[in-house]
Amino acid sequence: MLLKPSLAPAFRVCFRSVPFLFLLGFLLALGGFLFARESKPEAANSAQLEEEPTIAGSGGIENHFQPYFGHDEDIHLDKTPPRLIMGLDLNRMGWTYNCMECHTHVEDIRYHREQKFEHENINLEHGNNRYCLNCHHPDNRNAFVDYDGSEIAEPNVTLLCAKCHGPKYRDWKAGVHGRKNGYWDLSQGIQYKLHCIQCHDPHSPAFKPMKPLPPPLYPSRAPAPKH
Amino acid sequence: MPSPDDKPVKTIEERIRPVSRRTFLKGSAASIVGMSGLVAALQPLLKLEKEDITLDQLLQRHYKEMTPAQLDKVMKRLQEKCEREYGVSASIQDLKPQDGVGFAYALNLTRCVGCRKCAHACLAENNQSREYDDDISMSYIRVLELQKGSINLETSNQYYDSESVPRKDKYYMPVQCHQCRESPCTKACPVNATWQEPDGVVTVDYDWCIGCRYCMAACPYDARRFNWENPKLEKRQINLDQGYLSNRLRPKGVVEKCTFCLHRTRAGKYPACMEVCPTGARVFGNILDPNSEINYILHNKRVYILKEEVGTNPRFYYFFDT
Repeated sequence: MLLKPSLAPAFRVCFRSVPFLFLLGFLLALGGFLFARESKPEAANSAQLEEEPTIAGSGGIENHFQPYFGHDEDIHLDKTPPRLIMGLDLNRMGWTYNCMECHTHVEDIRYHREQKFEHENINLEHGNNRYCLNCHHPDNRNAFVDYDGSEIAEPNVTLLCAKCHGPKYRDWKAGVHGRKNGYWDLSQGIQYKLHCIQCHDPHSPAFKPMKPLPPPLYPSRAPAPKH
Repeated sequence: MPSPDDKPVKTIEERIRPVSRRTFLKGSAASIVGMSGLVAALQPLLKLEKEDITLDQLLQRHYKEMTPAQLDKVMKRLQEKCEREYGVSASIQDLKPQDGVGFAYALNLTRCVGCRKCAHACLAENNQSREYDDDISMSYIRVLELQKGSINLETSNQYYDSESVPRKDKYYMPVQCHQCRESPCTKACPVNATWQEPDGVVTVDYDWCIGCRYCMAACPYDARRFNWENPKLEKRQINLDQGYLSNRLRPKGVVEKCTFCLHRTRAGKYPACMEVCPTGARVFGNILDPNSEINYILHNKRVYILKEEVGTNPRFYYFFDT
């Protein structure tokens, strides 16, 4: 016997009880999950961001990297994307919801505008878009919907915006709309292009007013300003 | 009438001792006064020698006349000075212009919201003197608030401090060095301490500048700043990535200006002001590359050149979008 005789009955009692087995199973699963998370290969921040939102599958857009956070050689410059400053509601750093966890169970709310549960504080002010499913895919809520009802994967959200905002998409692709970071000389480094939703809240896309940083001091000997 | 032959006859004493006691005393007194005057006149130089201006530094040549070895020596000295004064080891480089690269900047006036992030990023990047952390008086960027309806700089305001921007009926125009192709500042400089580099950027040799400020008077864009005092910087405020012609620590009494962050852009990176712009209003690129963003703007957008009538032909373009 491996176990000492005195300990054996106690173990037998434990293993017989069903709740304990559940608990054990849960702990094992949790441990496995944590282990899997930690054993992920260390990748550059940008690469992680590129990978993480791909719940709905299908690759990213050609060469349009997400910008990086955290480690950077320019720590003295604040390169946080505008919507992270203002509070990105859905796609926070390193965390993505799997929408289908709920949406497979909840009854179909396809043509209703009631905002329940997670969606209570969404303020929909996007032109004539009154329906969630104008953009979100009816069958796979992790993806967006294209003209023909096919899916647009979450990392390719720019393609969704391009359905209506063609000229903006054209300018963005040309590198004239939206912020870019990194290298202008592509032979020397990577250029990061912010995606639409990193600056614009898709539910209320108008750029929000912000507090300006402090002005230069008004010269003390100059006459008082007229403004 | 005395004839020309009537010369005063010299006495024997005069012949043997041409300098009398009186003349000797007079002469020596005068020469003592003269010597002390000379010493007094040279006093500032001797003082300089004590305050760590070396002979090398006095005899340092113009940036364009220095051999690479001399330049290396100067950069090493500057690094040591930075280490001694601030206790930080900066890396000073002198990146050369690349062939086939001409820098140009474009700014979208429709997008700019006047948040002043660019002006503050400029301060963080370029080691300007400052009295306190947010003192952007030496920043190379001025953000002007203008009334919608016209581009009237006379009524613009750079001191706006509202709760939120953009304000109603206002628009914002950041102004910095336009890196003019016909630059009035380089023409005004009496000692050729400022010139245009082959990639279009107007730079200053801080060690050659005599501080006459003619260039500041000549500039139509208020793009140059003068160091009235020894730059005030704290150790934590210093950017260690420094360029010889751009953001190395400046001495007192010289003019400085925007160089499109030469130490960044010549290494292929974007300038600091563009990296932080939250609206993406700023576009930077190589104007000699026909596929660059800058050329896309020049071909497809409505471009506005500030003070075009002055004839400076700048490398900085404003444009409008829908």
